Amino acid sequence: MSAAPLTRAMLVEAPDDLDELIEFFHARRWSDGLPIVPPTRERVERMLSCTTRKPDEVVANVAPGFGAATVERIAINAVMAGCRADYLPVLIAATEAMTAKEFNLQGIQATTNPVAVWLVVNGPIAEQLGVNGGMNCLGQGTVANATLGRALRLILQNLGGAIPGEMDRATHGQPGKFSFCCAENEAQSPWEALHVERGFKRDQSTVTVIGAAGTHNMNTHAKDADDLIRVIADTMAFPTSNDYWIAGEPWIIVSPEHAEVLHAGGLSKADVKRRLWEASKMSAGRMAKIELARTQTARSEELGPITTNTLLPVSRGPEDVGILVAGGPGTHSVYVASFGDARAVTREIV
Amino acid sequence: MTQVYDPTAPIPEVIQNLRRSVGDLTGKVVGFIDNAKPNFNLLADDIAELLTSRYGVKTIIKRAKRGASMPATEQVIDELAAQCDLVVTGSGD
Repeated sequence: MSAAPLTRAMLVEAPDDLDELIEFFHARRWSDGLPIVPPTRERVERMLSCTTRKPDEVVANVAPGFGAATVERIAINAVMAGCRADYLPVLIAATEAMTAKEFNLQGIQATTNPVAVWLVVNGPIAEQLGVNGGMNCLGQGTVANATLGRALRLILQNLGGAIPGEMDRATHGQPGKFSFCCAENEAQSPWEALHVERGFKRDQSTVTVIGAAGTHNMNTHAKDADDLIRVIADTMAFPTSNDYWIAGEPWIIVSPEHAEVLHAGGLSKADVKRRLWEASKMSAGRMAKIELARTQTARSEELGPITTNTLLPVSRGPEDVGILVAGGPGTHSVYVASFGDARAVTREIV
Repeated sequence: MTQVYDPTAPIPEVIQNLRRSVGDLTGKVVGFIDNAKPNFNLLADDIAELLTSRYGVKTIIKRAKRGASMPATEQVIDELAAQCDLVVTGSGD
């Protein structure tokens, strides 16, 4: 058999019967374990009609296998995930973002850590596509959130070659590896939106990729900003976190209600980052001895000599604490510990 | 039968060749990139001792990464490439 072309996708013969076709994909490990939408020529062409970019254009090579993520192959995986055709530009931008050097996709794809790639959509396109940043934005029930995150996972697996148990060495993984996508609730945020904070104009649309180790709910009825900062910071500090030993980039998904408490307390977004960074410093003595040794290797240049009495900041500086306002009514916010060795990347959706 | 697209990308076949053969270790300079996994340093210490005492390696140079899932700095790579005849990397879990 001749070698497959590096930049053009190949058509293959598959069973007509839908049940058999789905099994055909499962057998080849081309799916995430859920049924797929068959990527027929017609469906893929419809998806490609929503971009001006050429099908054989290589958007990026995806670690760890470094398969060529062409526009066409991104579209194929988007079809399989159930994406609507106009979602394609989001996935092209997300593929560019997650293959930027500072995102460290090689580490994310091959690690034992459960890290998932979290997509955050900002700007007008979020509303146009119906990406949910409100109630249950990390849960089920929204087509865009469910299928965009799923498509990205299929791209990571099918183009990056990170097959679970093979190149993907995750000890447990996490549900967010099926899909992890939301918008920011810009309408209910008292602060500048994430993409504006990161240098884009409010009317630009962007996608941000984040290496998320998991989600931890924080339920508090605190109505005082100082009290709220204290309990969130206390939640951030735990001795098995990757963030403390390597200086990570943790995120807090602040609910609109909590954001209003902080804003009413006179805190800007930068203030919140600084206050959380200060208040979440953790005694190095809480770590296991071997993690303390790893921390000494990783952070002595940054912090000087590290002993059991050293108070470790969660990140190099307050600016590395991520803040996103999302969710619906309720007294819950979410702590998203990070992979540690990755930095969020934002790209414009065009 | 129906036609559907294969959703995967072929992995580029890159043939890896050693830049040069090292041959005898006598008098050579050997580098280690400690990947910061627990115990890699202990393993490297033992191997270095054997390389020196049994195989006549002249010099051992050890440099560490900050963490296992991040690459060595370009400075470390350049330094080892300039000074070493061969470099050992690996996982020491």
